[in-house]
Amino acid sequence: MAAADSPSAALRRRDLCSRGIRLAGKMRADVIDLLDTYVERQGLDASASVAAVEGVPVAAVERWDEQTGTQRLLENLAAYRAFRVLLAQMLEEHREQLGEADTTLGRALAAVLLQVSAFAYHLEELLRLESRGPPSEEGAAPPPVPQLGLFERKLRGLGVLRELAQWAVRSVRDLRQLAKASPGSSSAPGWAESP
Amino acid sequence: MFSGWNWVAHGLYLLLNFCSLKVSGGLVQSCGHIIPESPVLALGSNFTALCILNESCLDFGNIYANQIIWKIKNRVVPKEQYREINRTVSSVTFNDTSSLATPLTCNILADGQIEQNIYGIAVTIGLPPEKPRNLSCIVHQKSKLSYPMTCTWNPGRHTFLDTHFRLKNRWPQDEFPDCIRKDVNNSCTINDVQFFVNLELWVEAANALGKAESDHLVLDPIEIVKPLPPHNLSVNSGILPTVLKLSWENRISGAVMQLKFNIRYRTVGDTNWMQVPPEDTASQRTSFSIQGLRPYTEYVFSIRCMKEDGVGYWSDWSEETTGVTTEDKPSKGPPIWRIIDASDSPGFWTVRLMWKALEPFEANGIILQYEVTIRAKSSLSSPPEKHNVNTTNLTLKLPNGTYEVTLVARNRVGASPPSVLLIPASNSKAPVKNVRTLPKDGKLWVGWTAPNSYVLKYVIEWCLVSNSSDCIIEWQNEPGNVQGTYLKGDIKPFKCYLITVYPLYADGQGSGQSVKAYLQQDRPSKGPTIQTKKVGKAEAVLTWNHLTVDEQNGFIRSYTIFYKTVDGNETAVTVDPSKTEYTLSSLTSDTLYTVRMMAYTDEGGRSGPDFTFTTQKFGKGEIEAIVVPVCLAFLLIVLLGVLFCFNKRDLIKKHIWPIVPDPSKSNIAQWSPQVPAKHNFSSKDQMYPEGSFTDVSVVEIEADDKKSFSEQDLKPFDLLKKEKSTSEGHSSGIGGSSCMSSPRQSVSDSDEGETTQNTSSTVQYSTVVLNGYRDQTPVQVFSRSESTQPLLDSEERSEDHTGGGDSTTQRQQYFKQNGGQDETNTDGPCFERTRQIAPTNEGDLVGFAQLQISGHASQPLGLGLEKNTQEAALPDVLQTSIEGQTVRPETVEGNPPSVDEMPKSYLPQTVRQGGYMPQ
Repeated sequence: MAAADSPSAALRRRDLCSRGIRLAGKMRADVIDLLDTYVERQGLDASASVAAVEGVPVAAVERWDEQTGTQRLLENLAAYRAFRVLLAQMLEEHREQLGEADTTLGRALAAVLLQVSAFAYHLEELLRLESRGPPSEEGAAPPPVPQLGLFERKLRGLGVLRELAQWAVRSVRDLRQLAKASPGSSSAPGWAESP
Repeated sequence: MFSGWNWVAHGLYLLLNFCSLKVSGGLVQSCGHIIPESPVLALGSNFTALCILNESCLDFGNIYANQIIWKIKNRVVPKEQYREINRTVSSVTFNDTSSLATPLTCNILADGQIEQNIYGIAVTIGLPPEKPRNLSCIVHQKSKLSYPMTCTWNPGRHTFLDTHFRLKNRWPQDEFPDCIRKDVNNSCTINDVQFFVNLELWVEAANALGKAESDHLVLDPIEIVKPLPPHNLSVNSGILPTVLKLSWENRISGAVMQLKFNIRYRTVGDTNWMQVPPEDTASQRTSFSIQGLRPYTEYVFSIRCMKEDGVGYWSDWSEETTGVTTEDKPSKGPPIWRIIDASDSPGFWTVRLMWKALEPFEANGIILQYEVTIRAKSSLSSPPEKHNVNTTNLTLKLPNGTYEVTLVARNRVGASPPSVLLIPASNSKAPVKNVRTLPKDGKLWVGWTAPNSYVLKYVIEWCLVSNSSDCIIEWQNEPGNVQGTYLKGDIKPFKCYLITVYPLYADGQGSGQSVKAYLQQDRPSKGPTIQTKKVGKAEAVLTWNHLTVDEQNGFIRSYTIFYKTVDGNETAVTVDPSKTEYTLSSLTSDTLYTVRMMAYTDEGGRSGPDFTFTTQKFGKGEIEAIVVPVCLAFLLIVLLGVLFCFNKRDLIKKHIWPIVPDPSKSNIAQWSPQVPAKHNFSSKDQMYPEGSFTDVSVVEIEADDKKSFSEQDLKPFDLLKKEKSTSEGHSSGIGGSSCMSSPRQSVSDSDEGETTQNTSSTVQYSTVVLNGYRDQTPVQVFSRSESTQPLLDSEERSEDHTGGGDSTTQRQQYFKQNGGQDETNTDGPCFERTRQIAPTNEGDLVGFAQLQISGHASQPLGLGLEKNTQEAALPDVLQTSIEGQTVRPETVEGNPPSVDEMPKSYLPQTVRQGGYMPQ
């Protein structure tokens, strides 16, 4: 916590929180757009309900307000690391399926994947500032890739994106909470608009 | 001998050795090689190359390192740079690679004579890359989700080598592919950068000589975004006429960045933009209400945006959109002016009210009508006169007086403030002074000096002065605090404008002060046509007409008259432009002059047509001074000549014009013996010697019946004859011959004439020749020396008739000799005249005689008697006929020539019927 107490660490933390919030907000907006594109290009129904996908972290949590900052960061980091793997799988599947033909969806997937990676980096940095350090990725083994049919894979991708959108919302709130609780910061950074 | 064969064998061996080496293994092999192989060298560095000979060549060809020669292209490297490392290796060293070139070859001198190439290398010289500088990046938003980032840098000096530049970027935990562009070396674009994560950027330059990296740049790409401008702009009219609401759509998500805006606007047709205060639009929004606009005005709007905190770049300006504010009441009354024409009818004015349509920013809408109110100031009790018109003028006929004209413009929203104009009885207020003009920037500036009194405003009137069109007045208002303005109108160059400035006071107006001006002057379009008004011997008066205003093209500053003779130099005379006449003096007489005239404006002159005239040979009065004396002298000479001739007429006649009777034309008339005896010729015969006759006329008259001339009738005639007999005698008898006739023959005695008439019916009034022939008793005869052949017959007939005494035949015949008039009456007018007289009654004859006596100049009678007869002839005839009846005795008495004087050679002849017989 000593590092976190220094002014530079506080500034760094605040900056990370601020930009993390914006990144999560943009990521949510992009994922929403990506969902539309995905549903359209994959020939899915936007209102189709998707059962919980195995290996996809769930954003909903009980007693969210009772979580500590570190706990929030750790859960977020775990989730986004999972999403990073899932999105990478989706991108690979997309490329295998369509090659380079559908560049729009592929580029959008890649962009979201990058943002997920970036957000994960933010979380890791914040955890370092917490003198906690990010957990090793090796510890959190990627979920096994189930052998699914094409349609199931599409539905699974839809579930991943929807859940990612949920996580983006939760991450904004987590980071705001974190920013609020951070020493030397009485309020959240100037993020007026709720994602 | 042995040694010679030895050398030959050695040479053959060497040749075979070379050949075998070169083709062994199917590849070309040489006797050596150079190290390094194809080096890339830094420019300016030092360089050492080694040439290593193969051992095989040593064995077979006696080739050693000391025989090596280094060459750059064909140039031998100085041996100072060589170094023999051992017997198979030679090195060469260059302190500066700039002296190097390709190829660098290693050669040997075989047997000291033949130079053979062993090996060669290509040397590449260049520079290592410099450190890229000034790395900067910008993220251009291409679409809502596309944010490519373009970085640029300064690649540094040219390296002469193939140098690769890579834009490297990475997150702290991730490495991204390098950005490489092959066509350019100073920029690269990374597609789809991610925001809110610091990105580390740097440029790496590398070539064969080395690598260089730029400084690392760490940034969040969100801070270098140049967003797309807002789009789908729309403008809505607000409730107020001065407000418009501008709406738009942002193309960058609020999740990405919050924006601030700049809004600019202008009226349509204007080029200058106005801007909404930036602090009013410094936050995220999608609409804004612009205030302070003009009513009923079309505005153009444009907007741009950037990151709210000002970090990054402004977007480009958006596309433009327009909107119109709603109408409002006109902000001011229309400027009004008038033209007063008092010439139509006395006591009334024709007032033409004119006003200008309001400018759009003043009208604040569409003007529907104008309301004009005229109120007489003198009689406030009379109701004002109101007119509603749609045009911008109104012509009224008003009694002379002072009026207050009020004008209001009205649109859909309301009416303007009133404009008031006083129409004064006279322009009695102080005028402006010193009205002047100045062309400036293609416009005409008018300035004036304000009067001392407070001026409400000024009215500037102007019109184009032209011969071809009327002066159409244009005008404009200016506020009272200015003393100069530009004319607001289409002022054409080279045209004359009459500009008048009126000051308007609260209670009247001052008289106008005028000035003429040109926006731009030019040379006159033609020159004056000159002509002479009067040409003298040494001077000529030239006249011309002024150029018309349309021809002047400017102010005529002067005229110049150029005149010259055919072979002389041209002389110029400058004339004041107000003149239309000029007198050229000191001209040469009787000389042809060519004259032309130029009119000058400030911009130059133009010449009129040439005109030629010739000065007179004589001056005024010179001809009269010569002619009059000459004429007088001539007349004097003529007069003297006439007088001389008159005095010497006899002498002249004798010497120049002697009377030579023409026998062939003469006859002798012998009168019958029945001639009354009382004609006492005997005594008088002596009075007429033959030789005294210079002129002979014989007139034979068969007198009219006596009854026709009674005594009573002839009395007054006779009385008058007495008085005038002498003078009349000059023209009688000889047929009117003037100079050569003898007056003596005409002298008559009335008394004897009277007697004669009483006693004889035959009247004889001419020369009577009486002479006896050779002592014979002269026969009393009447004869004369004039004859014409036809007369002979008549004489014969008269003789016959007279023999009968009272012959009823009334004939009058007379003969004249040397009568000028006879020549013109050769066809016998005398007879005709005689016959005309004969039937004349007595009264006429008496009257005629009386008038003739009273004066020869009395013409009426003569004309009454014979209108077509010469005046001179008729009196002669008449007088002769009368005298013929009465004068003969008198003639005898009055001219008593002696018998001795009768010419011997002239013999009286007796005319007998049928012949001419000498006696």
